Amino acid sequence: MSNEVVVSIRNLTKRFGKTVVFEDVSLDVHRSEVVAIVGPSGAGKSTLIRCVNRLHPFDEGSLQVLNHQLNKGSQFPSKQVLNDIRTRVGMVFQTFNLFPHLSVLENVILAPIEVKKVPRKQAIQQAMELLDMVGLSEHANKYPKRMSGGQQQRVAIARALAMEPEIMLFDEPTSMLDPELVGEVLDAIQRLAKDGMTLMLVTHEMQFAKEVADTVVIMADHRIIEKGPSREVLENPRTGRAQAFLKRVLNPVHATELEREVAVGHGGGR
Amino acid sequence: MLQQWVQYFPDMMKGVLITLKLTGSSLVVALVFGFILALMRLSTSKTLNLIGTWYIEIVRAVPVLVIIFLAYYSLGNILTLSGFTAAVVSLGAFYATQYGEIFRGAILGVDKGQTEAASALGMPSRTIMRKVILPQAFFTILPPATNQLSNLIKDTSLVFTIGISDLMFQAYSAASNNFLPLDMLLEAGVIYFVFYLVLSKLLARWELNVQRSRS
Amino acid sequence: MHIVGLYISPIAIGALKDLILTILSTLLSFVLGILFAAGRLYGHPVIKLVIGWYVEIIRGLPAILQLFIIFFGLTQIGINLSPLTAGLIWLVAYGTGYAVEIFRSGIMDVAQGQREAASALGLGRWITMRKVIVPQAFALMLPALTSFVVLQLKNTTLLYLIGYADIMYQARLGADATEAPGTLYLMAAAAYLIMSLVIGRIGYRLEKRATAYR
Ligand SMILES: Nc1ncnc2c1ncn2[C@@H]1O[C@H](COP(=O)(O)OP(=O)(O)OP(=O)(O)O)[C@@H](O)[C@H]1O
Ligand SMILES: [Mg+2]
Repeated sequence: MSNEVVVSIRNLTKRFGKTVVFEDVSLDVHRSEVVAIVGPSGAGKSTLIRCVNRLHPFDEGSLQVLNHQLNKGSQFPSKQVLNDIRTRVGMVFQTFNLFPHLSVLENVILAPIEVKKVPRKQAIQQAMELLDMVGLSEHANKYPKRMSGGQQQRVAIARALAMEPEIMLFDEPTSMLDPELVGEVLDAIQRLAKDGMTLMLVTHEMQFAKEVADTVVIMADHRIIEKGPSREVLENPRTGRAQAFLKRVLNPVHATELEREVAVGHGGGR
Repeated sequence: MLQQWVQYFPDMMKGVLITLKLTGSSLVVALVFGFILALMRLSTSKTLNLIGTWYIEIVRAVPVLVIIFLAYYSLGNILTLSGFTAAVVSLGAFYATQYGEIFRGAILGVDKGQTEAASALGMPSRTIMRKVILPQAFFTILPPATNQLSNLIKDTSLVFTIGISDLMFQAYSAASNNFLPLDMLLEAGVIYFVFYLVLSKLLARWELNVQRSRS
Repeated sequence: MHIVGLYISPIAIGALKDLILTILSTLLSFVLGILFAAGRLYGHPVIKLVIGWYVEIIRGLPAILQLFIIFFGLTQIGINLSPLTAGLIWLVAYGTGYAVEIFRSGIMDVAQGQREAASALGLGRWITMRKVIVPQAFALMLPALTSFVVLQLKNTTLLYLIGYADIMYQARLGADATEAPGTLYLMAAAAYLIMSLVIGRIGYRLEKRATAYR
């Protein structure tokens, strides 16, 4: 992690119509820093990272991404700025969003060829290297729908990396996957972190956040309720709200026991 | 000009009455026959299935006007059908294919788990259809069924070709009296359009209600 | 059988005419339909409104009424069109009204996630449209487009009512001359049936190919 701030979020507020998604959120992300964002559903985590690559506009505050200062309000930045941000900030979605009508390879080379005007040959070569990195070079000619969720998500990572981004955004990349497929995707992300990529990652994988992230941010009740070095935040949260949230996600035992009781009770009744 | 619109308005209304009578009768035939077609196509009997499929494929591929002519000039001659009956038979026969496919799609669209759950509870298949499948399929049926009804109303205009004095016929004969075809056709057009608007407004409201009740 | 032999070639010629009209009007309707759909989705509010009403009127009025307005109605204001011209104008006007909605909903039905993924990769609007949305929308639309062509073919029947010499016209001539309307209208029905089935078959093939990725 260097001292250079690549994403600077200052007092950011975002609303959809009248509903406030989050309010007065501030966060600095440094080059090569790995920031994990955790928190209950509906806290606004996805919306926050979608503001960073300007999939959503924001209402109040200021947001600097790389060398661009973004204005509040729904007016889009200039085409060049938007383009520059979109090419230098990659994103991986919860639902993969691969282009189903294109093969794996075509998914990966589309943006480099169309946006960066990379020659096709070179784009293919680079794509194959990336697919190799995520362990999928043999599947280059398959269509996405023929692959497992874990494989699709790794293709999505390769597709984003093909633009050679400086920052990668991940929105719950593993939450749609079967448990046995989560590991392969997390491995690919961990590799990126080791290689010095700047990452902003929304996740529910607390163990992974603790091991891989430098910083953990907890969002709840429309704001950031806690942020700091990952171990500190996850092991000794200061606020009561954060403690409650972490207790629930880290110790699901209580919930499981309850379920078991209900199941047994039901079974006994029959 | 306006005076001509007013003068022929009563005739047009007589035509509307016939158009509506024709629509209603054809709709009943189409719904009943369509439901039978859907059941045939869903049945496990290969023969019934094939007959249903062929009927739908063939009848859908032929223009309504041709069906009307066939019914009136050939079948009608043999069985001495009145123009009105021939029209009801042909519109009913054609729209049965549309409703048949709507019913079939909606019934298939209800999750298979529903049938399984109901059978597991010991319900006979007739009860499952009536109490479990159809109520759920109803809301899927409503929008396309309304749409077809609006198509049916428009297609009734074709029967003026076999001399039934519906709205279209009235407009046409008014035009040949006063030599103002544009005015008379537009007057009929406004009336047809009102029916169309009413149906599509109803449809929009239903869809909104369904969405609300499901969210 | 004698009658069939006598009238098979006029009906076949009528069928050919109908087929040509169908293809021509379909192509023109698709071009206009795509333009109108783009206008309805992305145009100025006034354009959206005008196209919206156009679509409503085309969908709201009986086909035969529309055709009669163009052929008979316009004579009242001094515009005299030949049956062929009036017929073609109507087929295109009518087809466009339906094609707009097919293209519009096809474009809208491509999932929002696809747009976002394309945006996140920095793909511009035009490239997103060309490389991501349209290919998928096309696959989604194919069944509707196939029915559209069949609908246009069936619509050509109505041109007989304004005196254009198509299948129905020939069948009518034959029916009056031979007093065997059953045979002749069945021949007409068969001609439409064959053409519709062929169109349906082609559409099905295309659809299979376009959706191979699923
Ligand atoms: N396009 C939208 N229009 C209106 N409201 C929205 C929109 N997107 C999100 N919201 C609302 O914003 C709030 C935050 O949503 P967001 O998806 O950012 O939450 P999240 O923290 O990512 O939750 P999850 O863990 O469920 O993904 C939610 O209440 C949601 O209903
Ligand atoms: Mg989310």
